[in-house]
Amino acid sequence: MAEAVADIAPPAEARAKPAPKRNTAAIVPERSVAGRTLVLLIAIMTFLSGVTLGGVVLVQKSAIAWSSDVGRQVTIQIRPIEGEVMDSNIRTAISLAEATPGVTAAHAISLEDSEKLLEPWLGSGLDLAQLEIPRLIVVELGDPKDVDLSMLERDLKTIKGATLETHAAWRQQLNTMAATLVFSGVLVLLLIVLATVLAVVFATRGTMASNREIVDVLHFIGASNSFIAGEFQGRFLSLGFRGGIIGGLGAVLFFFLVAGAAGSIMPDQASAQLGFLFGRFSLGLDGIVGIAAVIPVLAALTAITSRLTVRRFLSQTSGL
Amino acid sequence: MIEFTNVGLRYGHGPEILRDLTFRIEPGSFHFLTGPSGSGKTSLLRLLLLSLRPSRGTLTMFGKNVSALNQDSLLDMRRHIGIVFQEFRLLDHLTTFENVALPLRVLGQPESMYRSNVTELLEWVGLGERMEALPPLLSGGEKQRAAIARAVIGRPDILLADEPTGNVDSELSLRLVRLFAELNKLGTTIILATHELSLLDAFDFPRMSLTDGQVKMNG
Repeated sequence: MAEAVADIAPPAEARAKPAPKRNTAAIVPERSVAGRTLVLLIAIMTFLSGVTLGGVVLVQKSAIAWSSDVGRQVTIQIRPIEGEVMDSNIRTAISLAEATPGVTAAHAISLEDSEKLLEPWLGSGLDLAQLEIPRLIVVELGDPKDVDLSMLERDLKTIKGATLETHAAWRQQLNTMAATLVFSGVLVLLLIVLATVLAVVFATRGTMASNREIVDVLHFIGASNSFIAGEFQGRFLSLGFRGGIIGGLGAVLFFFLVAGAAGSIMPDQASAQLGFLFGRFSLGLDGIVGIAAVIPVLAALTAITSRLTVRRFLSQTSGL
Repeated sequence: MIEFTNVGLRYGHGPEILRDLTFRIEPGSFHFLTGPSGSGKTSLLRLLLLSLRPSRGTLTMFGKNVSALNQDSLLDMRRHIGIVFQEFRLLDHLTTFENVALPLRVLGQPESMYRSNVTELLEWVGLGERMEALPPLLSGGEKQRAAIARAVIGRPDILLADEPTGNVDSELSLRLVRLFAELNKLGTTIILATHELSLLDAFDFPRMSLTDGQVKMNG
């Protein structure tokens, strides 16, 4: 033994050296994986998922808020009818409304307020006293479930020209529209996930083909398919997280920028009206948490997809 | 330890590369595997490495019929076999130390457990000073010694070598075969494929000659 070693070994004094403490390199080199392209792709997919998810959250929050606000009010409309005294009818309607169980308050919209409401359509400086227009009474409800609106509707029949508007049709339409948007958003999310899976499958197969030598050597030295798949999975998980964080931050930044831009471009009044109608363009904590949740989900999806692809590749190519 | 009985091998639907191989290799023996290019040496080594299964016949290793084993059992058996290639097949992005330690790493051993063993082995093969070097910076002889160290670090019962001296000069070839002979003295069964006549003449080990897919045992 000593003879054979002496044949090929350097002088003994050059050999006596303690083993250094070291950082072990990854078996699958980072540069061999189509890294930057995949990071960019996952970043784009995460950004799209985040924006879609954020959009869905905004729509749903606005729909719930709007529906809830509108649901807490009903309106009594009294049309002017010849021979009827409008002020008297208004007082009667308010009394009937206030006597209805579940109603917390009722008040008539003044002529000045009616004027303001009609101003965008009829222009300013209009004297409504000259026109016979219907008058509105806003009825505030406590818990909408406890209110007997059918009783109020029956009572109002005693007043000529009075009708009750519960906004049920509007709310129904709004809920249908919001549900359609949410469903479309979920569908888009599913398509993004599918596209991500397909892209990762192709990237993994390309990586496996370009790392065939490493895979063969690992097989020759007794590595199991599970070990090899784990090495590639670890690499892809890291890429997935990097891409996910970039895309997720991009999506959150997008919502902040758009909210800021919407506030500065539109005049305060228009912004307030839009806010009243569609809700504020703000994600809120739950929206940000939702986008943050997309990051580990896409990273895990990338890792699992690559592992399954590697296992399939190995079972097809191991020759056993 | 290894027994071939009427073993044949073909790739897909092609002709038989190996035909009716029947021979036995005893534990602790050293055999040269010779034959002209294309005679099937590499295919025979791949059968012995368990990366191929026989198309027909029976190959028994460590007392078990290889064809009847499932993939997990084959993997366990493969861990008792080391392999050295002519083209070294070291991973260029890993240092010499990491390449040699790879078989232990894939078994899940922590570096603290194998560090001293790998260092000792690298010093034994004369690479103590080259532990941190990447393979592209090693000479042909150094690469082959690193490849041999990687093959034996897991203390295999069988060591296969496919033209291990093909890329080194004749003087270093003799030294490398002496190294294999030393490993054999420690109890490792060695099958060394070569077509270098000078090596065959320099060592008095039995030869398995492959011609036209058939084997003939000499000595």
